[in-house]
Amino acid sequence: MTPWLFLAAAEAVEAEGGLFDLDATLPLMALQFLLLMVVLNALLYKPLLQVLDERDAYVRGNLSRAKEAQTQADAAASQYEESLIQARRASQQQLAAVLETTQKEASNRLAAAQQQVQAQLDSARQDLERQKQAALEQLAQQVGTLSDSILHKLLGSL
Amino acid sequence: MHPLLLPGTLASLEVGKHLYWHLGNLKIHGQVFITSWVVIGILLVAALLGTRNPQRIPKGWQNFMEYVLEFLRQLVRGQLGEKEYRAWLPFVGTLFLFIFACNWSGILVPWKLIELPEGELAASTNDINTTAALALLTSLAYFYAGLSRKGLGYFSGYLYPTPIMLPFKIIEDFTKPLSLSFRLFGNILADELVVGVLVLLVPLFVPLPLMILGLFLSAIQALIFATLATTYIAEALEDHGHEEAHN
Repeated sequence: MTPWLFLAAAEAVEAEGGLFDLDATLPLMALQFLLLMVVLNALLYKPLLQVLDERDAYVRGNLSRAKEAQTQADAAASQYEESLIQARRASQQQLAAVLETTQKEASNRLAAAQQQVQAQLDSARQDLERQKQAALEQLAQQVGTLSDSILHKLLGSL
Repeated sequence: MHPLLLPGTLASLEVGKHLYWHLGNLKIHGQVFITSWVVIGILLVAALLGTRNPQRIPKGWQNFMEYVLEFLRQLVRGQLGEKEYRAWLPFVGTLFLFIFACNWSGILVPWKLIELPEGELAASTNDINTTAALALLTSLAYFYAGLSRKGLGYFSGYLYPTPIMLPFKIIEDFTKPLSLSFRLFGNILADELVVGVLVLLVPLFVPLPLMILGLFLSAIQALIFATLATTYIAEALEDHGHEEAHN
């Protein structure tokens, strides 16, 4: 089959036509191609590239806006976090202060109560001592009369 | 020449036969133009469908055409850079789209069902005129790129990096369009011939894998042509002035 084809091609070159028959088709095709290029540029490349550019700009704008919003949100979140920390710290300080004052007060009261108790105890002890002294004195007085009466009784019977 | 006809089959193979149209005393290949018009029509319809009602959120055809456009943009931007690519996107993009659509139309559209008085309809890119036209346009494009960027100083780049390169660079200017046109022409014609011969031998099923391979090859050829064109343009735009800048 192939020799036939080669033969055919060789033959074709000699006769009119053939594989390598260059003629006015070439420049006309070139012209037609340039025309197609111009038309496609107007119909296809320009409008679609414009669409692509617009979409690019749109996406980029949205992206930058979203980024901005995100940084804002981040800033707000960090601010919130900071205020939270501050509030926590303040509340802790307050708690500590309140705890301290109450503790101080409690210890003051405790000391006062102890003092009072001690004072009461002391006075009670003094009272007791005085009463004891008085009783002893009375007893000492009574010892005289009692011993007299005992002596009378003993001597009187004699 | 005569069509290759095997007795007992309907298939025939015609190589190098053209449907001649006469414009004044100029001869042109009618079958090439007919198929190229169909291809151009398809491209225009696709472009119109894609940009008829552009939306921010693409749907349907717009989505597809945007995918195509982004592919082309990536191809051009990758080599020319962000600053230059926009000016060259129409040329390279149209090169790719036109060649790709031509190549695939040769495989997917049953052109052969339409009888012509002479020659037969096939992919436009299997005619040397088409590929040579595209290759010469590419040459013009990169000359234009170099000259518009650096003026006549563009030719001083021929002496870079050493003047020994001068003859090779001049030869290159001729081999670039030659290799571009013959690569595309040869690949597409060879693919059609192989499928044609196989269809002559075994009309059913057997040519299918080769046709699928042809689809792949055609796409690759379009990509190669567009990529090489971009490379040539990028080369012409490239600055060789680094040394001078240092001095």
